[in-house]
Amino acid sequence: MNWQDVWILYRRELRSAFRERTIVVNSILMPVFLYPVMMWVMFTGLMFVSGLADRAHSRVVLLDAPRNHPVLMDTLENRENVELRDQISADSAVSLIRIGELDALVEFAPPGAEGDKLADNFQVAISYDRAVERSRRASDRIEAIVDNYREEWVDSEATELGIAGAEREQFRIVQENVSSDEQMGALLLGMMIPLFLVLMVALGCFIPAIDSTAGERERSTWETLMTVSASRLSVVTAKYLYVATVGIMAGVLNVTAVFLSLGAIMAPLLAEVGDQFQFTLPFLALPVMIVAAISLALFFAAAMMILASFARSFKDGQAMVTPVYWLALLPIVLGQQTDQTLTPMIAAIPVANAAMMIRDAINGVFLWPLMAETLVVLLVMVALCLMLARMVLQFEDLLMGSFDGSFWRFAKERLLNRNGKKTAGAKQGVV
Amino acid sequence: MENAMVRVEGLQKSFWDESRGEVRAVDGIDFDCRPGEIFGLLGANGAGKTTTLRMLATILKPTGGRASLNGHDVLAEPEAVRRSLGFFSASTALYPRLTGRETLEFFARINQYPPDRVAERVDSLIDRFGIAEYANARVEKLSSGMKQKISIARTIAHDPPILIFDEPTVGLDVMAAIEMQRVVGELRDEGKTIIFSTHIMSEAEKLCDRIGIIHRGRILALGTLDEHRQATGQHYLEDIFVHYVAATGAGGGAAAAIGAPGPGESGQ
Repeated sequence: MNWQDVWILYRRELRSAFRERTIVVNSILMPVFLYPVMMWVMFTGLMFVSGLADRAHSRVVLLDAPRNHPVLMDTLENRENVELRDQISADSAVSLIRIGELDALVEFAPPGAEGDKLADNFQVAISYDRAVERSRRASDRIEAIVDNYREEWVDSEATELGIAGAEREQFRIVQENVSSDEQMGALLLGMMIPLFLVLMVALGCFIPAIDSTAGERERSTWETLMTVSASRLSVVTAKYLYVATVGIMAGVLNVTAVFLSLGAIMAPLLAEVGDQFQFTLPFLALPVMIVAAISLALFFAAAMMILASFARSFKDGQAMVTPVYWLALLPIVLGQQTDQTLTPMIAAIPVANAAMMIRDAINGVFLWPLMAETLVVLLVMVALCLMLARMVLQFEDLLMGSFDGSFWRFAKERLLNRNGKKTAGAKQGVV
Repeated sequence: MENAMVRVEGLQKSFWDESRGEVRAVDGIDFDCRPGEIFGLLGANGAGKTTTLRMLATILKPTGGRASLNGHDVLAEPEAVRRSLGFFSASTALYPRLTGRETLEFFARINQYPPDRVAERVDSLIDRFGIAEYANARVEKLSSGMKQKISIARTIAHDPPILIFDEPTVGLDVMAAIEMQRVVGELRDEGKTIIFSTHIMSEAEKLCDRIGIIHRGRILALGTLDEHRQATGQHYLEDIFVHYVAATGAGGGAAAAIGAPGPGESGQ
């Protein structure tokens, strides 16, 4: 292999790629803008919808309201987002709830046997439709109002009986979040960055892998390339490095964009709803993420190019490579287990191991032996893919676009030799 | 032939076809070509012309026989063969997203033209083919005539001694085809060794110094046009072609009956 040739071919691939709108959109614009903007739009949208929901009135029917609790009745009548409807029978109210014309039925009743010992006690039954958000919210509102009233009522009754407030404060649960704002930020980063990095590296490799193989065939430039004096190995190496480069670039750009947008967009939005997050990364997390991005890109590039090299057109290529993309996403589900760190078993699962390694690094956890295992596993996968690619490229009819663009047909006919063909032309070393 | 730039001896290529079994696309052909000569391969579609030329260009590997270009064996030194060769065919398209200038630079560099002389070479090609006006436009924006000029220029970008033109005028209009024939003639005059495949009789008649008639993977006859006329008693190449093919159809080993050349022989 001649590295000078590889460099010339690699530059040609990159130059062409950056003039192709689809590649620029998928590998640069989407990583930089899509997910940060999408996050902002989603969060803002959720807040807007939540605000709208808060302002929506809850239509409620009260039955048998207790006379000895006028304050509670006043509260219900005057609460801005609760609209009390005229009294009707319980059955009619339930029917109206079922068809969405009423949100909740609140029935006051005498307390049970034990509760009877307390003067003015009552129990409340709330009927609502759990399948309807508005009805569910009405139930929550009524419950909150009654809870609040009970607290105040018990407080005043206790005071009348001479029981001080402090004497009633027994067995209270007080929760305190000991996480710092940085730790909360790391939690969120650890959930998002591994997912986005794997996604974007795979997406970054996707179009170039097809463009540099099936695309060449579709444009009829494949034969042109086969007649240049560079060796086949140089040609394939240049293409492979090009696909991996775009994958790495897409991953790194995306992680940078997500990281910056979390700090600049999400942190202020979360602060508005009372959650404090501070997004910082341990210094060592950056090289870990870059190494992971490189390993993943080398793996995805090899796997995608092998399949795409069978395709006769860009469309065929998309159909063949898409399953790799989705398969790549399955293992990273493991990376979403926030209480899990890298284990020897997870480190042996390609892609999942990289996702987990990144998440650990974001949380400041560096399990070096397991990280080394992760890299070894990924590099072994890359080596296996490259060996398969080398074997596949020995079949010259593949180079000429045979097998109906199907890897499975190739595997059946050539690798498994199902048809028992032993012809002179069956396996030809590419010159 | 002592000074042959291209030598082909008993070249064979077999393919496996699901419905037909083993197919001999090229069945032991022999020919050679001299510098400053246009050697024509004349045959109908499917005769084995493209397969033969692809083997010479090292795109396909022969299943039998030998071939060498500029002294380099196609099996042993494929990269050296390709360095000595410019290959043009209807299926060798240009990179649409490169400009004409970038295309020429790329092909000159990747085919080992001396790096310090690439710019000069590209400028001279741009002048020669009159493409200065659109040399910096992307190929995808150009008309088919403009692309054709750039395509020929990229074939000779590294100044190879041997050129292969595989049905270069297919799909071209009359004026473009004439322009292509003119350029091929010029290249011959510059001393290039040219292999020109076609199924258009008039084109072969007009351009080729020697013509090999190929049918079903075998060369039926090889020689100058005059030699073919003498051998068959026919004047027009079309009639000569039909004569040879008909003789094959009559059975009895057509190649032997018309005296097809053995390895290293130049004609009948």
